[in-house]
Amino acid sequence: MSELRKLPVALIAALALGLAATFLALKGDPGFGAAAFGPWTSRPRLGSADIDPYARAATAVEGAVPLGSGEGLAFVARADDAGAPLDSRCDYIVSGAALPARFWTLTAYDVEGRLRPNPAGRYGLTSAALLRRADGAFSIVAAREARPGNWLPLGSRSRFTLVLRAYEAASSSVGGPFEGLVMPRIARGECS
Amino acid sequence: MLMIPEKMRLTPEKTWLDRAIDLIPWLLAALFGGVALHLLAILLLPHVTPYAAYRRLALQSPVGQLSLLPRPSPETSGPVFSDPFAALALCRFDLAQGPLRLRARGDGDHPVSVSLRLADGTVIYSANDRQAPMGQFNILVVTQDQADALDVASESADPEDADKGADKNSAKDHDDKSQDNKSQGELRLISPGKKGFALVRALSLREGDYDAAAAGAKAECAVEKPAP
Repeated sequence: MSELRKLPVALIAALALGLAATFLALKGDPGFGAAAFGPWTSRPRLGSADIDPYARAATAVEGAVPLGSGEGLAFVARADDAGAPLDSRCDYIVSGAALPARFWTLTAYDVEGRLRPNPAGRYGLTSAALLRRADGAFSIVAAREARPGNWLPLGSRSRFTLVLRAYEAASSSVGGPFEGLVMPRIARGECS
Repeated sequence: MLMIPEKMRLTPEKTWLDRAIDLIPWLLAALFGGVALHLLAILLLPHVTPYAAYRRLALQSPVGQLSLLPRPSPETSGPVFSDPFAALALCRFDLAQGPLRLRARGDGDHPVSVSLRLADGTVIYSANDRQAPMGQFNILVVTQDQADALDVASESADPEDADKGADKNSAKDHDDKSQDNKSQGELRLISPGKKGFALVRALSLREGDYDAAAAGAKAECAVEKPAP
């Protein structure tokens, strides 16, 4: 009798264990095949047939449509150079040199990946419309309030995520996808 | 006769160690059950979750018909992490109804790229217009069986094939060349799954350029009817 009573207990334990493991595995970014460049991470396998089952499940549950690896590379930053989470109550200076891509865009999302309303009605910047120094270097200010020069407007939600998409990154031709890549720095400025 | 009651009194007295040992098979069963359930959930989720791009976006549009997705903004509930500078057109395919023909080209100003995705979200092909011959995509998505049938059809359609039957290698070479001429840079893609969708991405170069990028990219998709 007591043996029979153990069966449902074991079943419930198995169920709880399986669901908890699945939930934990899909929470956050799985680390397989990720390449980190300071605060930026890229997972080019998301956009190829080499995607692992965990990343595939996470992408499906998230409802994302990752960039195909032949289209470009996406770099996600959730923290600044110092490792502190991005917070829209602060200004951030995103600065760097030309990237090995035909074209790139920089977009601000909330942590769930949604665009957030902002007074400017703009959600990103492109490499084609960027003001640059003579040597090609650029500096972007991400802030809630308007800034002179390259301004990336931020929404009112405090935590945010930056995504830089390098379209036609030099990947396809020679070497690995990240050869000679220097990603822009993300430095925190003043906070309100 | 006196020994039996004595034994019966002794056996039910289990120590805590005995009880723990009795539990081990149950603990192992729960552990293995949990791991099996976890792996099953990971493998099945892409096929069942209502959030998956295929279910949320592709199933809204008919097979073999191109539809422009709404422009990403805080108001539209498109896929998460959408690039606000990318105009996306979607074409759903179901190879059970026949192969899918996808053509796309840019206007020269706005970069265009194409990706093919299975229903579970796996990207099976992606490329940009600079990698496509003359900047034009001409893709035929087929199953392995459909590819075999096309090969058989093109071989029997070649009248010289019978004459050259003795020399198989040269016949094969000839066949490949004529096929290239006929299909004009066609890329035949064998899909491991029957259902999925194609995305054509046109990039706007700057703010206010979105509509021009969306209008500049010329794309068409259709279910290819098998030759009679």
